[in-house]
Formats: sequence, C-alpha cells, structure tokens
Amino acid sequence: MSSTDSVELSASSAAFSPDNPAPVIEPPRARTKRTPRVTRTNFELYGWLFMRLSGIVLVVLVLGHLLIQLVLDGGVTKVGFAFVAGRWASPFWQGWDLIMLWLAMLHGGNGLRTVINDYAERANTRFWLKTLLFTATAFTILLGTLVIFTFDPNIR
Amino acid sequence: MQIHKYDTVIVGAGGAGMRAAIESTKRSRTAVLTKLYPTRSHTGAAQGGMAAALANVEEDNWEWHTFDTIKGGDYLVDQDAAEILAKEAIDAVLDLEKMGLPFNRTPQGTIDQRRFGGHTRNHGEAAVRRSCYASDRTGHMILQTLYQNCVKEGVEFFNEFYVLDLLLAEVDGVQKTAGVVAYELATGEIHVFQAKAVIFASGGTGKFFKVTSNAHTLTGDGQAVAYRRGLPLEDMEFFQFHPTGIWRMGILLTEGARGEGGILRNKDGERFMEKYAPVMKDLASRDVVSRAIYTEIREGRGCGPEGDHVYLDLTHLPPEQLDAKLPDITEFARTYLGIEPYTDPIPIQPTAHYAMGGIPTNVEGEVLSDNTTVVPGLYAAGEVACVSVHGANRLGTNSLLDINVFGRRAGIAAAEYSATTDYVQLPEDPASVVVAQVEGLRNSTGKERVSEIRNALQECMDKNVMVFRTEQTIKEAVEEIAHLRERYKNVSVQDKGKRFNTDLLEAIELGNLLDLAEVMAISALARKESRGGHYREDYPNRDDINFMRHTMAYREVGADGTESIRLDYKPVVQTRYQPMERKY
Amino acid sequence: MSTPTLEKHSDALDAAESGASHLITVTLRIRRFNSEVSDEANWIDYQLDIDPKERVLDALHKVKWEIDGTLTFRRSCAHGICGSDAMRINGRNRLACKTLIKDINPEKPITVEPIKGLTVLKDLVVDMDPFFQAYRDVMPFLITKGNEPTRERLQSPEDRERFDDTTKCILCAACTSSCPVFWNDGQYFGPAAIVNAHRFIFDSRDEGGEQRLEILNDKDGVWRCRTTFNCTDACPRGIEVTKAIQEVKRALITRRF
Repeated sequence: MSSTDSVELSASSAAFSPDNPAPVIEPPRARTKRTPRVTRTNFELYGWLFMRLSGIVLVVLVLGHLLIQLVLDGGVTKVGFAFVAGRWASPFWQGWDLIMLWLAMLHGGNGLRTVINDYAERANTRFWLKTLLFTATAFTILLGTLVIFTFDPNIR
Repeated sequence: MQIHKYDTVIVGAGGAGMRAAIESTKRSRTAVLTKLYPTRSHTGAAQGGMAAALANVEEDNWEWHTFDTIKGGDYLVDQDAAEILAKEAIDAVLDLEKMGLPFNRTPQGTIDQRRFGGHTRNHGEAAVRRSCYASDRTGHMILQTLYQNCVKEGVEFFNEFYVLDLLLAEVDGVQKTAGVVAYELATGEIHVFQAKAVIFASGGTGKFFKVTSNAHTLTGDGQAVAYRRGLPLEDMEFFQFHPTGIWRMGILLTEGARGEGGILRNKDGERFMEKYAPVMKDLASRDVVSRAIYTEIREGRGCGPEGDHVYLDLTHLPPEQLDAKLPDITEFARTYLGIEPYTDPIPIQPTAHYAMGGIPTNVEGEVLSDNTTVVPGLYAAGEVACVSVHGANRLGTNSLLDINVFGRRAGIAAAEYSATTDYVQLPEDPASVVVAQVEGLRNSTGKERVSEIRNALQECMDKNVMVFRTEQTIKEAVEEIAHLRERYKNVSVQDKGKRFNTDLLEAIELGNLLDLAEVMAISALARKESRGGHYREDYPNRDDINFMRHTMAYREVGADGTESIRLDYKPVVQTRYQPMERKY
Repeated sequence: MSTPTLEKHSDALDAAESGASHLITVTLRIRRFNSEVSDEANWIDYQLDIDPKERVLDALHKVKWEIDGTLTFRRSCAHGICGSDAMRINGRNRLACKTLIKDINPEKPITVEPIKGLTVLKDLVVDMDPFFQAYRDVMPFLITKGNEPTRERLQSPEDRERFDDTTKCILCAACTSSCPVFWNDGQYFGPAAIVNAHRFIFDSRDEGGEQRLEILNDKDGVWRCRTTFNCTDACPRGIEVTKAIQEVKRALITRRF
C-alpha cells in the first residue's frame, strides 16, 4: 500500500458503516422523471435571437455614441449640458439614444438572467435575484425614457 | 430481500436480450435484468456487419447463405437452424432498418453490402457481398437502435442487477422455471424475480483468455448459472479466434478491413493467405486464417523483434475509403499503437473472440436439459446459447444475425408461453444459494487474490487451449484449472461493503470463468479430431465417423460432494448438405 | 506479390512493435468517496510502476487488483466503444480506456475524479439515471407515419451522411458532464441528449423532428448552450457536439421564420 496521504478517519466519519452510510454527494438540481414540464412558448428562442440581433445593432449604436462623445469635435471636454441639450433637440439623436438605452438594458438584463439561471443553484435564490434584476432593469429603462422625452433644455 | 413478479424476465441487455425484450414487452409484463447499463453491452463492439442475402448489390440467395454457414461451421451446424437463420436474416435486417438503423446505402438508396469472410456465391465460387453494414460500427448501431426501440416500447430495465442463480422447481416430475435471483450492485441487496419465463441472453465468456477482443465483463455468467443448476453446456470446446486483433491487446479489427481489400502479410511482405486458401485468400473463414497466421509465426515468418505477429496491410487502400468505411479501426491503430494506417501496416495476432458453444436450445430458443427434453419456461439466445447455427466455427457477421433472429424468436416464444401458464411456486428460501455464495466471499478470510488466480487462468488458457491444441497441452490446462479451482476456495475480497462492491463481483465472475474453463478443457480433451475452431495437432483431420456430434457437458455432484464433468453427445441435425472436405 | 510497405518501416511502427516495456513510476491521484466510511471525498495517491503505453484504465486496474480492491469504477469493453469509463483525468473528461499514460504527462501526478454534475455514489461511480432520463426525454427513436414499406426505406448516401457524425454517440456522458451549464443545473438536457435528438431530426426517414424540436425549444433545451465547446473537446468519439447543437438551434429558428 503506497497511499501517501490517506486520511485518518475522524471521530464523526467513523460512525458510518455499510448499514449506516453517509449521504451521497449530490449535484444541484438533478433531472428526474418529472423534470420535463413542457414550456410551449418560444420565449427562449426569441431571447436567444434578440441577444444576437441587438448585439449587432448595439455595436453600431455604442461605437457611434462613443465616437461622437469622446473623439470628434475636441473629444470629451466638449460634453456638457449644452452639448446634450443641443443633441436632444434633434429627434434623430433622441431616437438613437432611446433605442440604445432599450437595447442595451434588455441585452444586459437578459444576459444577466441567463447568468443567474446558470449559476444560482437554489430556486429561491434564482427567484429573488431575477426579481431584483427585473426591477432594476425596468426602473432604469423607464427613468431613461422619461428623461429623453421630457428633457427641458431651459431647466435653469 | 425483495420479491418481484413478472411474466417474463430477460437476463442481459445486449443485442439478443433487447431484441427479445422488444417482442416480449409487447406481449407480456417483462423485466430486463442487466449487470451493465444496456448500451454498455459488447454487441456494441461488433464492427463489420450483419449477413443477409438481400441481393442489393449482386445476385445472392438465402440458400447459398445456409450453405456457407454450414460449411463455415465445419458441418457441425444443425442444418434446420441454419436454414432458419439464413431465411429470417432478410427480415431481421429489414426490421432493424425500419426500427431506424442507419445502414450505409447504395447509390440507389438501398442497404449497401460488402464482402466478408466465408460468404460465397453459389456454394464457394467466389466472395459475395452479403454483409449489411453501418460503417465499421454495425454492432454499435444495432445496440443503439435496439435500446432506442426499448425506450420507445417502454421496456422495464433493472440496470446493474447481477443474476446469480436460476430457480427451477419440480412440478409433477418436470423441472419448470420459477425465476431468478439477482444481486443489486448499487445496494448489495438480493432480489428474487419470480417469473413464468426466463430468457438468458447474457453473452459470452471470452475473459478466460488473456488476449481477447471480449469485454472485461464477458465472464459467462449465464452459462455458469445454468450449468450449476444441472443443465448441460453444448460444444464448449469450440471457441473462435478472430484473426485480426491488435497485437498483445486483442482489440478487434474487423474482418471488414479485409472485406474492403486489406491484406495479411508476413515479415517478408508475402501475402501468405494465398498459400492456405487459394480462392478466398484473406477472406477464408476465421479458423483457417487464424491457424495460417500462427503457422507463419511458428515457422519463423512472424513480424517484429520477437516475430510474434503479422501485419494487416491497409496502406494500398485510398485514405478516403478508410475514412468512410473503416474510421473506427484506423482510430484504434492510432490511439493504441501510435501508427498511421494510411502508411503503416498494423501489427495483429489472433484474439479470442466468440464462444460457439453454450446453453443448448432448440430453434424456438427453448433450453434443453438433455438431448431432447425442453425445460418449460426457460429460453436462451445470443452468444450464451448454442442453437447450434455456428457449429464448430462461426462465420463473420452471423453473430449479429444470430442475436436478432433468435433473440426475436426467444422473446416471442417466452411471452407466448408465459401468457398460457401459471407461476410455479418458488422454492423454500429461494435466495439461500446466493446469500451463501455472496456472504461466503464477503466474509472469507482466505489469502488468495482474485486477480492472481485470474491471471494464472488466462495465461494457462492462452498457452494451452488456444488455436493449436494437443492432448498434452489440454491435460496441462485441466490440471492447472483444477489447481486454480482449489485455490479459488481460499479467495477473499478486500471490499467488505455493500454499495457497488465490484471487488466481490469480480470474485463471483472468476468462479464462473473457472467452471467454464474446466468444461471447455474437458470437452476439448475428449474431442480427438480437428474441426473448425477446435484444432488438435495430434488429430489434425476431421473425423466424421466418431465426432460428427455435439458435445454435451453436465456437472455431476457425487454423494460426497465431489464435482465432476460428465460428457454426453448429441447428433447433428442434417437436412440437405452432406459433409464435404472444407476448402476455401 | 509486391511488398510495398515493409521496406520503409516508419519509426512509429518500430516503436509500436518494440515488445520491451520499460516501466516508469507514476502517481495516480484518485478522488475517492465511500459513503460507508466517510461523508466526504478525499484525494488519495497511489504509486505504481507501469508501461507508459498502457491505458489509464490499466493503471486503475493495477490499483484495484494489486493495491486496494475497494477502488470502484465502471468499465467494460476497454477500447472506447461501450462508454462505461468516462472520468475526469487531469481535469478533462476522457475515457480511461482511450487515454494512454504517455499522453498525459506521467511526470506529474495523474488526477482521476468522477465526472461532474451527477451524484457521486462511490469513488468514480456516478448516478447515470438523470443522464439517461434526458436522453429518453428527447424521444430517441425513429418516428414514422403511414404504412411500413415491405422492403427497406430508401435513403440516398448523401442523406445518410447528413447525420453520420451524431450516430457515433456511445452515451458515455463525457460531453454532458463537461458542460458548465450542466454542472450547476442538471435540468438542462445536456449535449448528449441533443446529439441524439440531432441524429433523428436530420434523418431523412424520420417524421418526428417537429416534436423533438418542440421539446428542445424548452427553457432547459438548446437555448441554454453557451457554446463553450467543452463538449466537443471532451467527446471521445470525435463528434462535433457543439456544431450539432448549433444545427438544432438553426433548425428551430428557420422553422419559426
């Protein structure tokens, strides 16, 4: 026998025997006969497609946004209240930012949802994390939309 | 101890077991007990194909197939059974196709066929394309397809249940089937399955050889259980050695490799099979090729530093053909030998492959307790059984056929029998034998180790009862096995637990192997002739006058508890083919 | 007869034929668990002398047969066909019988542990039932309508080739238990079940593709695949598993639009 670091039985583990076995090592959420609760919706399909399509659109929107904000016309130093006010005077830029806000939030939110699904082991944890995520996403989207549409350049 | 009640119980979930289960589940309440998960069975290792005279690519008919089977078996084949095999082969293949098996296809979309050893046109004129195949994993596809259909039919499996005993009970002077006793590997619990009909489909027993294509789990469990209950074992001396196993490892390289054009060469590069079989050359039957290989090796024309193997040469075949038709075996050569079959020949040697003998049955799969008497309710199919369609040597592709044709027949027959009969009363304390066996091993304080005895057995079998046998080598084997059986009485296991005690299981399996090795050696000693897979150097010719008959080996227990083997013989059924000299 | 091959013996062939085995000492570090002794798993080291051309399975056998008979693992065919001995070797899912010692750096200890994501029952033995349950849930059998033909169903070699890759599956669970999604959520169908659905969805004879696609459209279906390619790397049969999953996704999308 050449086992070099075999573990001495501790007092507690020595209590186990063929007739009194320890519990086996189970993984989270095993599949059982009852698992297939058929979901007859295409939600996951649309979600998956949305991630790919919104991703492509976001590349254009976000890179364009960054270019305008940070590079053109003197770079980041030009950004101020007046700059924003000037841009949102145009429905085009209002639309740009509105679409960017919605897509980015939904894209990120859905991404986080899958992360929660993948990594949160207990059903309860999942539920609360997802509730939190949904609230935060909805709040941000609504607030941003509100601001874009009710922005008043003469607020001062 | 738990008691279960089923109409039909099937032991084993390989090809034959699952084919039977598909039929029997439709007709009766069926349980399948298997010591492995069903898709782990060794049917999956079969590669080349399944013979049937479909005549999809060239002229063929089932009568020629019958003849080839009988000639391949060196006329020890029961000819009525061979006719059934060849005739029902066509439907067996078509049934599998309809179940979903993805056969390779001809350009017309029908099932493609290729050449295989011993399968000929018009009684031996030339090789014929008869083997229906799915790449070089036909057995894998059959196993998967059958399991898929078991899922479809809702077959009830008891996975990792190890059957250790057969229960027979005497009713009005007749031994009838009462059920089986099984050991649940996961918990160590003993289960009694009361059944009206039992089908043994537990596979082969090749693990008593060292160089073998057989799985570690092929330990003749079904044969041993039946044998210990006083049932005979037929033709156990006939064991097939497949010519092309990977050198020293024994891993199977399909005969389909030669069917596709592969050539066997000795160290001089000579295509030596031309000398031994002028017409069929590399596609002669397996016993002929295996003997030729060993003859080359013995006469100093073997390859390698020790001259103990020959080459399977595929290098002249286009790589695309190897990729399309033989992907798995080329992969084996790369994985296990580190060579590239496109450019290098593959070192091979004959490998213990298939037991022609087994539990004797009639063509309905009913087990016989002597030359003629049927044991009501007991059936066997597949390698565990001996119908006998393979006689002294099985043709390649006929085993996948055997499991489907006779698996189906046994499944139907068993279910129909269980529909018409009542349960037989279980014997008092039905699990007593098994409990004694299991607890005896678990509590044994002996000093012998399972692995040492098993190694000694395998060395002994490889040395003494392989391709070439003589009176002297077989006697040596008989003595050695007797000695090992003595040692086995002192065997002990290290694992004393109940859960997944594979240590204990291996000890039981070794006991089975020892019993069957003894039967094999004793049967071989008595057969003083050479026929098919049984070649006696001291009796190199076939002797139809004295030995055109099946060996039947019975276990006898004397009044003082001593065990011995009694040999009896059973006539061969001949219909229309008279024995002729066997030339390829 | 010509002798084209034997003059030019390659080095690989010479190496394969050299019968002389020079044993090396390797350390096998096995993650062991026995509920009858302890409630936790432990790493235990075994030192053995072995020919590097042998398989990890041979090494495990050496331990079981010569050192410690209580070591428990599943195996059968020992050449990569039956799918019994999938395990995590040096952190990667492989078949012990298809992994040669020399190919996994025997200088360092070789770690062997059970595949992840399934209940460990003893040592390297895991509960395969959830895995087979997922397999059964995708209806892995040919579904056809109408009367059966008298002869075989016709299928062109091209149509047969379409699903050839996924017919190779041996249900060893190496792919499914290499999937990070499956590790945390065993309700995901997993790569193996999808591969076996793919085998029928793309079989020209089958008429149940619609039903199977519907099943895999489930929230625990193909959409949970994150294309990490672990499954493709793990497959001992060389099946392009991730590609098969992508093809099922594509079939679902093209069906909808």
